[in-house]
Amino acid sequence: MEKEILEHGFTFNRRRFLSTMSLGVGSLALGSLLMPDLFSGSEEEAITAGIPHFAPKAKRVIYLFQNGAPSQQELFDYKPKLREMNGKEIPPSVRGNQRLTGMTADQKKLPLVGSFVDFKQYGNSRAWISDLLPYTSRIVDDICIIKTLYTEAINHDPALTFIQTGAQQGNRPSMGSWLSYGLGSENKNLPAFTVLLSRGIGNGQGVYSKLWSNGFLDSVHQGVQFSKGEDPVLYLRDPDGMDRKARREMLDNISELNEMSYKQMGDPEITTKIKQYEMAYRMQLAVPEVMDLSKEPDSIVKLYGPDCLVPGTFAANCLLARKLSESGVRFVQLYHQGWDQHGNLPFEIAKQAKDVDQASAALVTDLKNRGLLDETLVIWGGEFGRTSYTQGELTKDNYGRDHHPRCFSIWMAGGGIKPGIVYGETDEFGYNIASKPVHVHDFQATILNQMGLNHERLTFRYQGRRFRLTDVSGKVVKDIIS
Amino acid sequence: MKKKLIAFAEQLLIVANIFIVFLLVFENKLVVPKWLQPVGRMHPLLIHFPIVLLILAVVINLFRFGITEESNRFYLNLSQKLLLAGALLAAITVLMGLFLSREEGYAGNTLEWHKWTGVGTFFLASILYWINKTLWQKPFSLKIGGALIVLALIITGHYGASLSHGENFIMQPVIADEENKVVPIEQAIVFDDVIRPILKKKCASCHNPDKMKGELILADSLSILKGGKSGKLFVPGDPEMSLLIQRIHLPLEEKKHMPPEGKPQLTEQEALLLELWIDENTEFSKKVVDLPATDSLRIAATVFLQAPISDEKFEFAEANEKTIEKLNTNYRTIRPIAKGSPALTVDVFNAAAYSSKQLSELAEIKKQIVSLNLDKLPVTDDDIKSIAEFENLRKLELNFTNITAKGLKELAALKNLHTLTVSGTRLTYQDLKEQIPSMKGLKTISVWNTGLSESEAGRLQKDNTGVAIITGFKEGGRDTLTLNPPQVKNSTLVFDKNIMIQLKHPIKGVEIRYTLDGSMPDSIKSPVFDNTTEVDKTTSVKAKAYKEGWHSSDVITFDFLKSTFKPDSAILLYPLNNVHLADGAHTFFDTKLGVIGANNPAWANYWAGVRNNDLGVVSLFKNPVTISSVGIHYMVEEATGIYPPAEVEVWGGENEKQLKLLVKMKPPLPKKKEPPSLRLVEGQFKPQQVSCLKIIAKPYVKKKDRYLLLVDEMLLN
Repeated sequence: MEKEILEHGFTFNRRRFLSTMSLGVGSLALGSLLMPDLFSGSEEEAITAGIPHFAPKAKRVIYLFQNGAPSQQELFDYKPKLREMNGKEIPPSVRGNQRLTGMTADQKKLPLVGSFVDFKQYGNSRAWISDLLPYTSRIVDDICIIKTLYTEAINHDPALTFIQTGAQQGNRPSMGSWLSYGLGSENKNLPAFTVLLSRGIGNGQGVYSKLWSNGFLDSVHQGVQFSKGEDPVLYLRDPDGMDRKARREMLDNISELNEMSYKQMGDPEITTKIKQYEMAYRMQLAVPEVMDLSKEPDSIVKLYGPDCLVPGTFAANCLLARKLSESGVRFVQLYHQGWDQHGNLPFEIAKQAKDVDQASAALVTDLKNRGLLDETLVIWGGEFGRTSYTQGELTKDNYGRDHHPRCFSIWMAGGGIKPGIVYGETDEFGYNIASKPVHVHDFQATILNQMGLNHERLTFRYQGRRFRLTDVSGKVVKDIIS
Repeated sequence: MKKKLIAFAEQLLIVANIFIVFLLVFENKLVVPKWLQPVGRMHPLLIHFPIVLLILAVVINLFRFGITEESNRFYLNLSQKLLLAGALLAAITVLMGLFLSREEGYAGNTLEWHKWTGVGTFFLASILYWINKTLWQKPFSLKIGGALIVLALIITGHYGASLSHGENFIMQPVIADEENKVVPIEQAIVFDDVIRPILKKKCASCHNPDKMKGELILADSLSILKGGKSGKLFVPGDPEMSLLIQRIHLPLEEKKHMPPEGKPQLTEQEALLLELWIDENTEFSKKVVDLPATDSLRIAATVFLQAPISDEKFEFAEANEKTIEKLNTNYRTIRPIAKGSPALTVDVFNAAAYSSKQLSELAEIKKQIVSLNLDKLPVTDDDIKSIAEFENLRKLELNFTNITAKGLKELAALKNLHTLTVSGTRLTYQDLKEQIPSMKGLKTISVWNTGLSESEAGRLQKDNTGVAIITGFKEGGRDTLTLNPPQVKNSTLVFDKNIMIQLKHPIKGVEIRYTLDGSMPDSIKSPVFDNTTEVDKTTSVKAKAYKEGWHSSDVITFDFLKSTFKPDSAILLYPLNNVHLADGAHTFFDTKLGVIGANNPAWANYWAGVRNNDLGVVSLFKNPVTISSVGIHYMVEEATGIYPPAEVEVWGGENEKQLKLLVKMKPPLPKKKEPPSLRLVEGQFKPQQVSCLKIIAKPYVKKKDRYLLLVDEMLLN
């Protein structure tokens, strides 16, 4: 009898459990009707149309990347205290537990070194600018100087990869690729993302095509490198003996074959390829027009400096960047190599600064004159900063500075960034951030935000997870947005 | 029947609980279809039912203890039914609320508070119902539960009211609304419209007549001038000595930092404005426009007063997607400015592909276009007529187009146009003077590179204070620049018999003057380069660029190097430095010259280098050659320890076994801090017929330090 009662209890409970459960499952099912995205990752599809999440402030970006890490102590971050304490050991309380690079780890002493160059205040923001940048000092009221950017990497390659792709390891899409993916191209006759290289006389570090790689995004979004010389885009010119009509016929036939193979294989890269061939065909007309600097008037040559007509120089690339941007290229990425002053800093940085100062300022002025600065975001800066102490021997007129990830200075102009402000403060040694830190992901989030994209929603699903330029962090720096 | 109904209601309550938990967990994925939105919007209507029912249930529950068994049962029964009905209705209201919250315009802390207290009320009610059912004899827990529900209802209601009617809804009629007032820049007074609103927003919550922290009131000019406990607030004209500015700039952790930690802080812009205002003697009645145009305070105040223009909502209807798709071509890009926005932005590219049709075709979407970019296209005044139809156009870019006064006149029809760029057009002062005032909404116009003179631009700005006129830089106002030096066009400077010197300069109209004898070129004696100079021996060409309006360039030297003979094969005797391998033995005879900076891998390409052993190369000729000199081209960079060879020996003969010493060379050492340079050391000897040549160059050694030797080319003559 007891057994039966027990069994009855079980049956009863099971029945009740099941019926109640069914209610629960039913209600979940009802709920899921309201959530079309619950079991699929269709967020990405929504952005492939290339329409911003919200009305953008900036339509285009020109990133003047100063590769090798320019020393903030010699350019934007004025630290009289370092001169005062020249030759004295950096206090342990300041250095904290910062790890050193292999290059100074064995150095017995880390004496502070004051800048060899003087600073003055300019503009409404009364920003301190070094005498090495006379032209930049004239545009301080158009730029926003951020003195407190910081990064996680301490060596060039990871730091460069981090600031460009949001990850230190490589193989992720570059910032330009993300923007191309998120916003599409404005001018269908030119790539949405282009790259221009130059180098100064200073100690240089390599740049590699992985920095403008599309990573796991469609290869349409890859950065296209424009080089100096007769063939700015490799293999774009028709070979001798081929005219445009023959090219057209060839493309039509290849495209037919590609369509067939697409029907067979269904590989989306095939359609990409068809599109790329077509764009290359249109680029054959558009590129020579953009790259032709001979029609630029004398006033422009004077603005950018005489080097702007020497192909492959930073000045020429700045002028080209303006022309590309004006023609609707979303993201123009410049790299200027030679900022890695481990030694011989006073000599090298003076040359480096001279290489870029006039043309960088000219670009901002030129865009402003054309009424384009409000829709073009210009960024100037490197991958990390340099130490307040010397690397190698400190002599009366020579010293070097090692890599420093804890703070570095960059500037941004236009594109809805507040002009004429200085954001963030470092300590009196220029070693730690005193207020308003900006992480690399914050910086990236801000750039995307200016372009009308929510950095948390610009995602791509790959290998089972959604990826973002800002990985899992990043906050828009609202204080620098107008 | 009744029991069945109650059982059904109870089950429904379980369903509702699970359903709501589920929705809350996956809330950010919730998409409310259009047909369900009206249901959501009935939330504020239905909310009153659960409020009444739940309160009634709680109140009745309070009554039931201590009366007869029968009435107790009656009240319990009634209270339970009310509770069940209330909880169910609460569930529906919560659902509606969740739907409603997904619509645009709901966000922020108040919403979060309202949501969670509301959901909490519902869960509380459900729990209370089940407790009541099993533990009905325990009055204490029931009373507490009831009290909690009522409390939750009140809080939820309060936040809900704030949401639908706005913060401070009840007290609003009493509080004057000053904050959202937009003051036109022409009328704005620095203190009243810039400084006081900042103080009010960030300081007055503690420094007001009611609170008076630190005996300071920041409400009107009188109280501001009076200062507080610690003294006067500022020293006019000296922001650094002013208490106000000092307190603002203290570190955030300091107790005296203002505003205190945790309160909204001053933005950079606000702090700058306060500072500038004090710097300019704390005027209380000055108008913004009374300040000089280049004044810092005026510029900062103008920015502060400018209402942001890009965040506007567009009221017009969306264009047909198919139409947009149809109008999008390879040379014309049309896209919405943002997801879900009806406003379109249009960019047209490629002057060669441009025709008027590209604008007239846009008539189909003329209402939707808010921004149009036609830079550098041959747009004519007739085309502008079609543009004048785009009634919602905000921004129009017409740089370097063919617009004239006639076209500009058409644009006056565009009432919404706030930004216009006409840089590089042929518009004149007269055209702009007449037309700008008629463009009522205009805020910014770019007129750089038009016919405007500086004084005309100034007058234009003065007549149109509400419009920012961007004139850009003026040529000649800047300092005179130095030309860059001439460049060489020859693909290599190493030649075997003779070479035509080819020099060029990137800037048009530059005159190049040069010398061949090693002297410095000047603008009087030295010949002008005209592409006719030929040399047949190793020559140092010095050149300088000249142009009117520029400083002449630095002198640049090109060493044209003659090397008559090229060996048929060459081998290295000793290994090269592993970062300066270049092209092995071939390096020295490939006519490729290196550049300065070879300590850097990127520049090292053409430099073969040694440090720890000699540089030795044996070159062989199939047919004997008569040789009378051997030269070594090397780099010197004193600062980084790249030195000349200590000694060079040249051996020659019929074959490797029968060699005799032909010449020995000892190039001079660099001085301390000498700038880097490329040099040539050449040794002459009696003409000698050889089939084999051995060249040994020893790197410089001082004490134990071995210096780097870099060689890019060897010259055999």
